[in-house]
Amino acid sequence: MITAGMIGQVVVSGILSGGLYAMVALGLALIFGVMRVINIAHGPLLMLGAYATFFLYDRLGMNPFLTVPLSMAALFVVGMLLQRSLIFRVVDAPELSSLLLTFGISIALVNLAQLAFTSDLRAVEYITGAWLVGGLALSKPRVIAFAFAAGVTALAFVFLQRTRLGKAIRATSQSREVAMVCGVDVARIHMITFGLASALAAAGGSLLAVIVAIQPEMGQVWTFKSFLVIVLGGAGNYPGALLGGMLLGLVEQLASLFLTTQLSEVVAYVLLVLVLLVRPTGLLGGRQT
Amino acid sequence: MKAIALAALAVVLLAAVVYPFFGTGYGVRSVLQIFMWIALAGSWNLISGLTGYVSFGHVAFFGAGAYTGAILVASLGWPWPLAALAGGLGAVVLAVLIGYPCLRLKGPYFAIAMLGLNEVLRALVSYFEGLTGGGNGLSLPTLDATRPIYYVMGALAVLVTGGAYLIVTSRFGLRLMTIREDELAAEAMGVDTFHHKLLAFVLSSIGPGIAGALTARDQGYIEPISVFPLAITVTMIVMALFGGKGTVWGPVLGAVVLFVVQEIVWARYPYVHPLLFGAIIVAVVLLMPRGMLGLLQVRYRLPRTI
Repeated sequence: MITAGMIGQVVVSGILSGGLYAMVALGLALIFGVMRVINIAHGPLLMLGAYATFFLYDRLGMNPFLTVPLSMAALFVVGMLLQRSLIFRVVDAPELSSLLLTFGISIALVNLAQLAFTSDLRAVEYITGAWLVGGLALSKPRVIAFAFAAGVTALAFVFLQRTRLGKAIRATSQSREVAMVCGVDVARIHMITFGLASALAAAGGSLLAVIVAIQPEMGQVWTFKSFLVIVLGGAGNYPGALLGGMLLGLVEQLASLFLTTQLSEVVAYVLLVLVLLVRPTGLLGGRQT
Repeated sequence: MKAIALAALAVVLLAAVVYPFFGTGYGVRSVLQIFMWIALAGSWNLISGLTGYVSFGHVAFFGAGAYTGAILVASLGWPWPLAALAGGLGAVVLAVLIGYPCLRLKGPYFAIAMLGLNEVLRALVSYFEGLTGGGNGLSLPTLDATRPIYYVMGALAVLVTGGAYLIVTSRFGLRLMTIREDELAAEAMGVDTFHHKLLAFVLSSIGPGIAGALTARDQGYIEPISVFPLAITVTMIVMALFGGKGTVWGPVLGAVVLFVVQEIVWARYPYVHPLLFGAIIVAVVLLMPRGMLGLLQVRYRLPRTI
């Protein structure tokens, strides 16, 4: 029997996980928008962010939520280096090259993490339990993670909308040639965008570290889910990522009412296939940055 | 030149046919594995090498074939050769289901859909425990069929490679490669790109389906982690890329060379194996996009249809 309380719980939980999806997917959307590259290594970069938080918490005793800016800064640098050394070579190559290249990087990153950190499950047990508000259970780590994700996402949008650099990123995403003519250093924008996107993935990993167990293979499914969020919101449409993230969160939670959690991956997958069949341009439609 | 090549090919095939009568158990098993990798890498090459649509989940067909075959043998008592064909058919059904929505679109949709497919199948196998045995796996009745399976797998490798030759030298293959070079131009010239891609994809699923069913029979026991590992996809991609994607003999070359190197050298360093494969993918994409065969073709002026 499904009650109104259960529906409320589903909506709340869906929005809470949707906030994380939206933030991580925004990173993938930025890279795709600016460079036309789908970064298969996006999820493994998220995994590195989670490990950054784990070690700062475990070895230095830092508050895990305060590690978010550090982990973002570290992965910003890693992302820029990756772009400068490898990714920039395939920006104008056929899609096959960039997909395979980032796939190779993703395999290598996961294996490096296995070698360096072992495959043991790690956990950041900083805060547990739930707040009870009007009959709804709000998991404490998830609520705080959502608040941080919302803050980071909002900052990212303010950056994209208001700053010169953000405008240059959006301009490059709309038309690289015109941006070049207007004096935008496109190579530099590509590098910064990749760094920024990696930082967004890292923030996702750091916040996820407080919620779920950490292991080297935790990231790969996030590449897929981030892409699904982009497809839901419409490729190249950055605000669409927010809607897509919320939608994915809600659908997954709703499905968990009727199906076992085992099948939540299947639900996300069926959603992708359905959207591709019915409305491949995304629910909000095409590019509008 | 051509006569010498054909003679060499005949000698290699003949050696492969008589080998089980002389070889050790380990040797026969190794050659059987090489046949399997030739079939897998060659099949991946049909969709990804020829059309440029990257499949990150070809192991899904291997696993689907393995489970189809294993269930038919274990529950319904089918003879394994028939079950192997059914494994190929199961893979075809899956390919149509995924290819129809994803290949209508241009761009990375197909690649990402294939990236997620593996996890989905694994979850489904675990969910339908009654049929598949779930995480406990599925045992097949004991049967020592290594030698017949050796021949069937060998025939599969020959069929996949021969099929690739027929496709590459045909108008159909030419259209597939046009899609790879410029899909819009292909459409403008009247190529029905969607159906061409779909057919290439379906053809590329048959080999892994049959190979999966044969492997299930050979090993006698399957479980989700043994037939759906990402590593199988990675290995077939690395082999096809390293040998030379989009060519007939590239995947064969890649499968043989990398399998031998893997057995002799890398088996000692199992933990860094994926790292090496990731590095090979990165290096091949950046430094030798046409693979070893591509380098040979340039140096010795070989025709591009080999």
